[in-house]
Amino acid sequence: MKRITTPITDEMVNSLNVGDMVYVSGYIFCGRDAVLPKIVRDMEEGKLADKGIDLTGGVVFHTAVSPAGTGPTSSNKLEIEASIEPLSKGGIKMHLGKGQLKPETIAALDKYNSLYAVIPPVTALLESKVSSREVMAYPEEGMEAFHRLYVTDFPCVIAAVRGKSIYDKEA
Amino acid sequence: MDQRIIDLVCDTLVRAGSTFRPDQKEAYRRAMKTEKNELANWCLATTLENAEVAEKNRSPLCDDTGIPHLFVEIGPNRQLTGDMMAAIQEGVRQGLRTLPGRPMAIKGDDMQRLDQSGGLDEDSGALAAAPMIIKNVDEDVLRVTVLMTGGGPAIRGITERVFHKHNAKVVADEIVARAKDRVSLLGCSPCTLAVGIGRSQYEATALMIEAMAKGNYDKQTEMEKYITDEVNKVCTCGPLGLGGDTAVLATFMKVGPQRASGVRIVALRPCCCFEPRCASVEL
Repeated sequence: MKRITTPITDEMVNSLNVGDMVYVSGYIFCGRDAVLPKIVRDMEEGKLADKGIDLTGGVVFHTAVSPAGTGPTSSNKLEIEASIEPLSKGGIKMHLGKGQLKPETIAALDKYNSLYAVIPPVTALLESKVSSREVMAYPEEGMEAFHRLYVTDFPCVIAAVRGKSIYDKEA
Repeated sequence: MDQRIIDLVCDTLVRAGSTFRPDQKEAYRRAMKTEKNELANWCLATTLENAEVAEKNRSPLCDDTGIPHLFVEIGPNRQLTGDMMAAIQEGVRQGLRTLPGRPMAIKGDDMQRLDQSGGLDEDSGALAAAPMIIKNVDEDVLRVTVLMTGGGPAIRGITERVFHKHNAKVVADEIVARAKDRVSLLGCSPCTLAVGIGRSQYEATALMIEAMAKGNYDKQTEMEKYITDEVNKVCTCGPLGLGGDTAVLATFMKVGPQRASGVRIVALRPCCCFEPRCASVEL
């Protein structure tokens, strides 16, 4: 297993290949269907800094954050997959979720030297690796608010980077 | 309300949301012995490890703790009163607060619940159970099975007719064809295919819930095994969609009464790697 700590640099992205098993540590953002389109809109309107959010080198984990814990939702849900290109453009280097993405999304990741990793939906295990959680924006969304966690050794597999995808048979 | 029923149902819901059954654990161990793909094996082992941690802590297997579904079996000499049904529902509420279930009940009127503009209820116990299924059985019991059904499989599930051409294999092959893409898109594989075959959409879905409640990984019929093997032949997504031979662990199928007609109604749910999350209790 390789280990990386946020913020993620271009060099770190360049060192990773499809199929690599990686432990991710540090601060990561969390959001899914309800809030990611709002974060994209705020980013495009230049309002993220007012909320204390800096996407540079960041990770977005596609999950709700609730008393039940965290776990990946399908990254190919309409609003979530649509957020991947603009958030990559805004500085996000890792999108963490599950499920196959469209070829055009894989190409968009490559365009901004970002990557997609999948994480097993192992909520009970992940809970033991989260040491802090806070709401960064849209608290009215409850468990779907934009959260930030501090995590240690979240296990994941690199599923798409530099235009290649684990879902391609030749990858 | 009967506090004994409330406590029993509460405990049963927590078990359903936090525990792999022995046959389920054994299905994973069997898959790990035959799976050659390194990433796939890692996923299987991590999922099993997660189940052991969840069982020990009585904490959720998955953060999508699911929508409670209740399957009730009632024998010839047993009674189920309105008060008892209310106690079962209260047990569900308390179980959701204890697990804890994800607080995902949507507030508001019809339109607000559709577009989620009414906000979320912070109370895990506010999540209403689906309508109860009650079935007469020969066994002299009053048994409640609590099933916790996640959103991913609900997105991928399908209930639709099959023109059977008077050949059961046509039905089985259509189930395989429908399962292929749905299992690949699920993400949280390996999955267990739940199938109900009936005369209407309602009956097929109720039979599918019964298949989830009563299915056993150690007891597979010839047709269940055929469907599992055929889907694994055409579906190369493996666990978590990362490749390998283990896209499907088993098929749980319930065939109900059928009508004199060229059509069968098939409900198919690609249950995720934790499902069927269910536990039973005798009241």
